[in-house]
Amino acid sequence: MAQRFLILEDGSIYPGHGFGAGATTTGEIVFNTSMLGYQEIVTNQIYHNQIIVFSQPIVGSIGIAHDAYESILPTAKGMVVRDVTDISKNRQRSLSLDQFLKQHNIPGISGIDTRHLIRQINQTGTIKGSIVDVADDHAFDQLHATVLTSQQVAQVATPRPYPNPNQGYNVVVIDFGLKHGILRQLSKRDCNVTVLPWDASAQDVINLDPDGVLLSTGPGSPLDLPESVLDMIRTIQERIPLFAIGLGHELFALANGSEITKLKLSHHGANHPIRKVITNEIIYAMESQEYVVDPDSVDRDRLITTYLDIIDGSIQGLRHRDYPAFSVQFFPDGAPGPNDSVDLFDEFIEIMGTRE
Amino acid sequence: MAKVVVDAMAMQRALTRITYEIIEHNKGIDGLVILGIKTRGVYLAQRIASRLKQLENASVPVGELDVTQYRDDIEHDSQDTDPQVTVSKIDFPVTDKKVILVDDVLYTGRTIRAAMSAIMDLGRPKQINLAVLVDRGHRELPIRADFVGKNIPSSQQERIKVSVSEIDGHDSVEIIER
Repeated sequence: MAQRFLILEDGSIYPGHGFGAGATTTGEIVFNTSMLGYQEIVTNQIYHNQIIVFSQPIVGSIGIAHDAYESILPTAKGMVVRDVTDISKNRQRSLSLDQFLKQHNIPGISGIDTRHLIRQINQTGTIKGSIVDVADDHAFDQLHATVLTSQQVAQVATPRPYPNPNQGYNVVVIDFGLKHGILRQLSKRDCNVTVLPWDASAQDVINLDPDGVLLSTGPGSPLDLPESVLDMIRTIQERIPLFAIGLGHELFALANGSEITKLKLSHHGANHPIRKVITNEIIYAMESQEYVVDPDSVDRDRLITTYLDIIDGSIQGLRHRDYPAFSVQFFPDGAPGPNDSVDLFDEFIEIMGTRE
Repeated sequence: MAKVVVDAMAMQRALTRITYEIIEHNKGIDGLVILGIKTRGVYLAQRIASRLKQLENASVPVGELDVTQYRDDIEHDSQDTDPQVTVSKIDFPVTDKKVILVDDVLYTGRTIRAAMSAIMDLGRPKQINLAVLVDRGHRELPIRADFVGKNIPSSQQERIKVSVSEIDGHDSVEIIER
């Protein structure tokens, strides 16, 4: 494997070995502490424009499985790992991680001291970096000069509506860069899904006469999306049961008068216990967040806090007081696990059922 | 032949949903009291009350309602044994309160009719809402539930058995064919 370098905005250089595509890329460095699910993580569109560092030291050991994609065309900018293994014959006779990254023009770099790197990012906060062939002044100039787009949603969300037909409840999914786990969970529950682009109006949604509406996950800041999205949410929540996840949750909170703050360091992993307020149960779920709802800004006459992260106290779930509309910051679709909160989809189905 | 139609998880979810619906419907918990119909309705009422407390950080009074004396379908001619004496336990006024009446199964509606008579003898509530875990149909009176955990269309030959962990050791709803 050829020697390549991970370089950071603050001047640090990490030499390693290239795998996957040989491209030179630039993105925000984020790290994920999940023990498993590298395929689901690297194909999740929330990592648009980001280079993902895996704290799990060995990545790639089960190859790539045909049933674990979270997007068709992943747009992560790179993978940084301690060791990559190359077992190309997994039980489903699919690809190796290396082949997969080559296909999608995503570079990887291995042999990096990821513990040191993560400690460093913990100090600096979110920082830009590049995977390059030569770590010279030119590479750093390029890195400093690169401006990452703030229009991530428009880059990764579907530009046109498409159906995912089935026999059950009629559900409209608004795509802000959705992960397939959401469609898979709705599909398991027989929902007849229509996916609409992120800029769909309330009237576009109402025209399809849905039993329920789901606001999907997606990359970037909810503050970069226009006010019209919030108007759509305010109109829909009064009429149709609403379930919002990830970026959708942040938009739901904004639409109901809450404020969003950016974390100094984004949090990606499934290691934080989350308290389900109504029953005091503790659950685990994949959290991936760069933005959180400011707890002091939540209007308690409009919203109920339903889930709280025990480690950092962040709001992980909200529900409207007056309408059957609820949201979670974490990913309940179990792709990758934990599966503790998959039954939120059953709750959504049952809410639709009460309105028949 | 017993068939589980609601498992423990689904029962928890149903009670959670009913709790949120109660808040939605009543715009909060002001003036709310919960009355569970003995036996299993009481435990369901307590679970709803504990959920409301978790969310709203305020207690809603819970009472136990015994409707035996108010029933119209029990014959009062047993001479050999004393009728089992159980009584309602309601240590708060219901007048001008919003009562949430809780029972496990809604069937003919006669229990609920009796419960309403029992409540009216205690005072004049501002409103009465009905929450049930299961609505199995076959009503004989013009009564319907405001909050339903699960609609289970059933035949009259079947029995619906609700188990709650407080007295039965586990949570479930089963259909038993006779």
